[in-house]
Amino acid sequence: MTCNNFLPGTTRRSMLRNSACGFGQIALTGLLSQSVLSSPTPDDNPFLPKQPHFKQRAKRILFLFMWGGPSHVDTFDPKPRLNEEEGKPLSLETVGGGRTNHGTILGSSFRFSQHGQSGVWISDLFPHLAKQADRLCVIRSMHTEGTAHGEALLRLHTGQANLVRPSVGAWLSYGLGCENESLPAYITISPPRGHGGVQNYGSAFLPAIHQGTAIGSAETPIAKAQVSNVGNPRMDKSLQRQQLDLIQKLNRDHLRNVDADPGIDGMIANYELAFRMQSTIPEIMNLDGETQETCDLYGIGTEPTDNFGRQCLLARKFAESGVRYIQVSTDYTWDHHKKLKSGLVEESAKVDRPIAGLLTDLARRGLLEDTLVVWGAEFGRTPTAENGDGRNHHPKAFTMWMAGGGVKGGLTYGSTDEFGYQPVEKPVHMHDLHATLLYGLGLDHQRLTYRHAGRDFRLTDVNGNVVKEIWA
Amino acid sequence: MSLPTKIPPISKLAIAVLAIVWGSHTCSATQDQQQEAGVAYFEKHIRPLFVQHCYQCHSATSKEREGNLSLDSRLGWLEGGENGPSVVPGDVDSSLLIRAVRYSDPDFQMPPIKALSAEAIAKLENWVRMGAPGPGHDKLMAADNPSDPIAGKNHWAFQPLHRNEKSDGTHDAASSKQEWAQSPIDQFVLAKRMEHGLNPVQDADPRDLVRRVHFQLTGLPPSIKQVRTFLGEEQPDALERLVDGLLASPAFGERWGRHWLDLARYSDSNGLDENFLFREAWRYRNWIINAINADLPIDRFVLEQIAGDLLPFDSIQQRDQQRIAAGFLVIGPKVLLGNIEKNQRMEIADEQIDTIGKAILGQTLGCARCHDHKFDPVPTADYYALAGIFASTTVMEKRHMLNEQRLMERLVGLGPNGVDADDAYEAYWRDKPKLIEEKKKAETALEALKKVKGEEEFSALHDKNPNTVAIEAINYCRTREERIAAQQALIAEWTSAIATAPKIPYRAMIPADVKEPADEHIRIAGQFDRLGESVPRGFLTVLSKSEKVEIHAQQSGRLDLAHWLFDRESSASQLVARVQANRIWHHLIGIGLVRTVDNFGRTGEPPSHPELLDYLASELIQSGWSTKALVRQIVLSRTFALSSKYDVTNNAIDPENRLLWRAHRRRLDPESFRDAMLVAAGKLDWSPMDSSVSYLGDQATAVGANKIRRRTDFPNRSIYLPVIRNDLPELFNVFDFADPHVTSGARANTSVPTQGLFVLNDEMVMQAADATAKRILADCPTNDVGLRIERMFELILQSNTTDDVRQELRSFLAQTEELLFQEHGKEAECRALAIACHAVFASSRFLLLE
Repeated sequence: MTCNNFLPGTTRRSMLRNSACGFGQIALTGLLSQSVLSSPTPDDNPFLPKQPHFKQRAKRILFLFMWGGPSHVDTFDPKPRLNEEEGKPLSLETVGGGRTNHGTILGSSFRFSQHGQSGVWISDLFPHLAKQADRLCVIRSMHTEGTAHGEALLRLHTGQANLVRPSVGAWLSYGLGCENESLPAYITISPPRGHGGVQNYGSAFLPAIHQGTAIGSAETPIAKAQVSNVGNPRMDKSLQRQQLDLIQKLNRDHLRNVDADPGIDGMIANYELAFRMQSTIPEIMNLDGETQETCDLYGIGTEPTDNFGRQCLLARKFAESGVRYIQVSTDYTWDHHKKLKSGLVEESAKVDRPIAGLLTDLARRGLLEDTLVVWGAEFGRTPTAENGDGRNHHPKAFTMWMAGGGVKGGLTYGSTDEFGYQPVEKPVHMHDLHATLLYGLGLDHQRLTYRHAGRDFRLTDVNGNVVKEIWA
Repeated sequence: MSLPTKIPPISKLAIAVLAIVWGSHTCSATQDQQQEAGVAYFEKHIRPLFVQHCYQCHSATSKEREGNLSLDSRLGWLEGGENGPSVVPGDVDSSLLIRAVRYSDPDFQMPPIKALSAEAIAKLENWVRMGAPGPGHDKLMAADNPSDPIAGKNHWAFQPLHRNEKSDGTHDAASSKQEWAQSPIDQFVLAKRMEHGLNPVQDADPRDLVRRVHFQLTGLPPSIKQVRTFLGEEQPDALERLVDGLLASPAFGERWGRHWLDLARYSDSNGLDENFLFREAWRYRNWIINAINADLPIDRFVLEQIAGDLLPFDSIQQRDQQRIAAGFLVIGPKVLLGNIEKNQRMEIADEQIDTIGKAILGQTLGCARCHDHKFDPVPTADYYALAGIFASTTVMEKRHMLNEQRLMERLVGLGPNGVDADDAYEAYWRDKPKLIEEKKKAETALEALKKVKGEEEFSALHDKNPNTVAIEAINYCRTREERIAAQQALIAEWTSAIATAPKIPYRAMIPADVKEPADEHIRIAGQFDRLGESVPRGFLTVLSKSEKVEIHAQQSGRLDLAHWLFDRESSASQLVARVQANRIWHHLIGIGLVRTVDNFGRTGEPPSHPELLDYLASELIQSGWSTKALVRQIVLSRTFALSSKYDVTNNAIDPENRLLWRAHRRRLDPESFRDAMLVAAGKLDWSPMDSSVSYLGDQATAVGANKIRRRTDFPNRSIYLPVIRNDLPELFNVFDFADPHVTSGARANTSVPTQGLFVLNDEMVMQAADATAKRILADCPTNDVGLRIERMFELILQSNTTDDVRQELRSFLAQTEELLFQEHGKEAECRALAIACHAVFASSRFLLLE
């Protein structure tokens, strides 16, 4: 393990390139107030849009998170040997996995076939997605740590479990700033409350502006979800404006009295931005303006796809509006310790059409080329049976896929052994995935650092190798 | 070189040499970069080769170290083994190691089984050419090794305190400016200011000052009466009496206790992966508040928190209080599920070392877990000397949690029968599943007994599970009815035992020494299962007088650690005094003399006023470590009482106001923001609170089946609100409350639109505004709007309005009332007033402290 995070890379300051942007403006004032108050680094403005380190393949990431951990050997990583040897004890000697008894092999109930020009293998759980096989870049050799959900979720979202670290989206927000003047750079739709909860979209020691803004939570239907405090339950807009005018008059009066204070300036600007956000966010969250055809594409209005369809459509709207990192989470429904077959049928039916619709919609709007869509979870599942008809957690090997945003479509990258137990070719650790995601957004994971408690921190800590072969 | 008569400017070279020798952070950047790049090259390319091909025989951890050669550190390959140095830095062909791996000499080939790849050999050659860089604190590298604890003693923070009195007024030429200073503190501040040509702004307006003193000492605004009294005072000691009154009020502990709770990463839940509730953490929180109020000397305050469970006691009450204090070690966040126990133990020790390092010593010790510290004089061996102490301490135990026996934070019963009550409680949950099983069997037996021809079956069941049959049920002298009744009675007894869970006993989170305290092994690269050499338990070498350290063999060493920290003679205690004095200054003045309050290492900032810092630290020690005495001294300085007024000239010289030409204007922290609103509304409950999480289940957040979430609607002071990791009260989240996962001495100070959204729309803020409006109407029953506006300003801002503002508010109220009249009729008046109160709460005058 190298400690090259201590190497003096590009400083934040040298990365800063200004451009006019509402958050930037606000942030500037926020920053000035900080310098007067107590920031040790007064000349760093954490909020302005920034230049990437190198060529940007994608401008934003849209992460589809399947909470619980879908089985890779039933979805994207076919293992005929599991069916041939079903019921036998799993012995990995032949593939170099040692002699430990890992349990009894469970075959897959799903039929795999190759799709598209490229022949990407997808099981019949995802018929709609299969039609877009040539868009997918399937990474079969993912691996991570954490046999329990909590640890694995934290590693997926922040790269660490025992220490509180900024989440991927927060790093992106910090590294690239925002593209929209009245929206946060990082939005998470229906995030989990457990298994690390807000820590999974937190900013840790990065400035608070980089924290993900949550819309609802996993267990709430998205149609009922809200961003907290966007809108006043008692006052209509004109009355609230009247009140805000009074607040601003008091603030300006205060400012006049003290001659100059960037803190008060910042507060005045913040209130205006907050007031604008109260219009922008509900406008985006309102799906009424979408055509019936679009809603159908996402499966909105029909079950079981309505909820996830809405989440995906919302994600597209945020992508369109310039949000940097958008995460969509399912409920905690992919944890199939038993009844794997019916569970997978049920869960894939909820997401298959919405995801396919999302890819189509992004593509036809010209958004797919610079939006990196990522699908996956905290870990995969064992090749062996649990409770007879289920599979247990398996961080040693699993599958994630990407689409759009400059990745090679129709590519299958890396492989696992004949049982899907561990990667044998081109393993991609979670840190590698993080390094690769940053790379796609034009950021060098070794140079994207933040000085905290006396040292420079980064998303990948002392690890991470960029997977370059997946980029077109 | 002959000595010149005039001392010339020190040459650049000399500075560079000194810098390297002292390892100071002025060390030239290129030197650092090269060295780090070298180590990075080693770690990336060379260490993996060594691990794979060499360490089996040539490592400190090898079972049999061949040729007495270890390749773990630079010292290892430079000194080499039986054949002499393995590497000659820069000289590839003369290096034994290279000769061996090249396989050119048939008698000297390494690794013995198979030659390395050409690529690997090329890497090794390149590495030797670079000078064979690598980690290791050793004599050979002392000059350029930042982690060397001997050279490290030169860092300013580890130097003895310099006491330099300025109070005699003879320091500089006497001038009218000297008169400004009213205390030694002011002398130091004034001297620095004069060096830079800065002039202090005027003193704060008394009205601002009284508000500032109240908020800084108690977190609460003054009452109108208190303001009036203070403004009416003509005695010169008015401020002193005000300060003494506030120091003695319980609210002081509720404010200053919170400062410590930030450092103690206090929380009511575990956070991280599994957010289980810390049902008993509140006892620790209240212990802190009481300790601050009692002005427990800081040495004792820390001693009880690090080793309270090991201290002697005169009463059960004292024992319990000391134990509760040691909960400090238990309340850290832990990865609970799927964690390997040995790994978890090292992670917990690491968390404790990190917390104590930063909170008490201002040192980032955690950095030395995987390698020698890159910047500070903390070798890995020192880290594991401390780790031995904490790994010999346990904060975990097997307990019932959420339907399972799990490894959870350790709880101990309080009071004279506490242990029994705890045991009974745990036994109930542990045994309940078994009892349910037994009861089922007893019922089956009963069914058999009831059958006309069931004797045989019953007898068989009895043979199988004798315990599940009542004694009288097998007493064949009895009638069958009697036997049935006996069996029924047994079942009834068990049913009731199952149904009646014992009450949760009075318990607290308390650590303990393990049965066999032991030294720890260094863990290579910080990995729990890669053992390096064992290091004796001990403290930081850089802060120790001699290498010999006394640790009681039968104990973890926590007691010894706590004593070492405050040993009057040791440099540790002087560092602790600097760090703690700086914290007090930071809270009162708004920035620390060292602004990186948790980092007094080389990557931290040096103090803006080194002499003042040392003065304050000495004062702290001399007062017997009294927090209140130092607070009092600072608050009574003229520096504290400066106005926050802007000044163009000064601002051009010192825009950050590091040299204190004015007071720092500060935003209220979320606790004060909320408490002050409740005060204005007349709704604050001043009484302390025990648990504010008792209604929660074992899961602290609303996840899955658990729908209960922490409440924030208590009328008590904000320090008592639930602190659930990853589910903080929204107010806290938005206004930069300290993340309770980690120790934190300075909160962030961000200005973000979510704060605006919160203040404009949050229900709690609006409720406070409603109540304030009602209060104003009740206080001013006549229809005099001007009077009401005055009252509003008094209640919320403890100040008067100006004509402009009064006029502004008048027209706002009239307009709003008219707008609301149609819908709300008579209510419109109160509603309009509430909306105006809400606006004042949202205004910078309320949110900022002058």
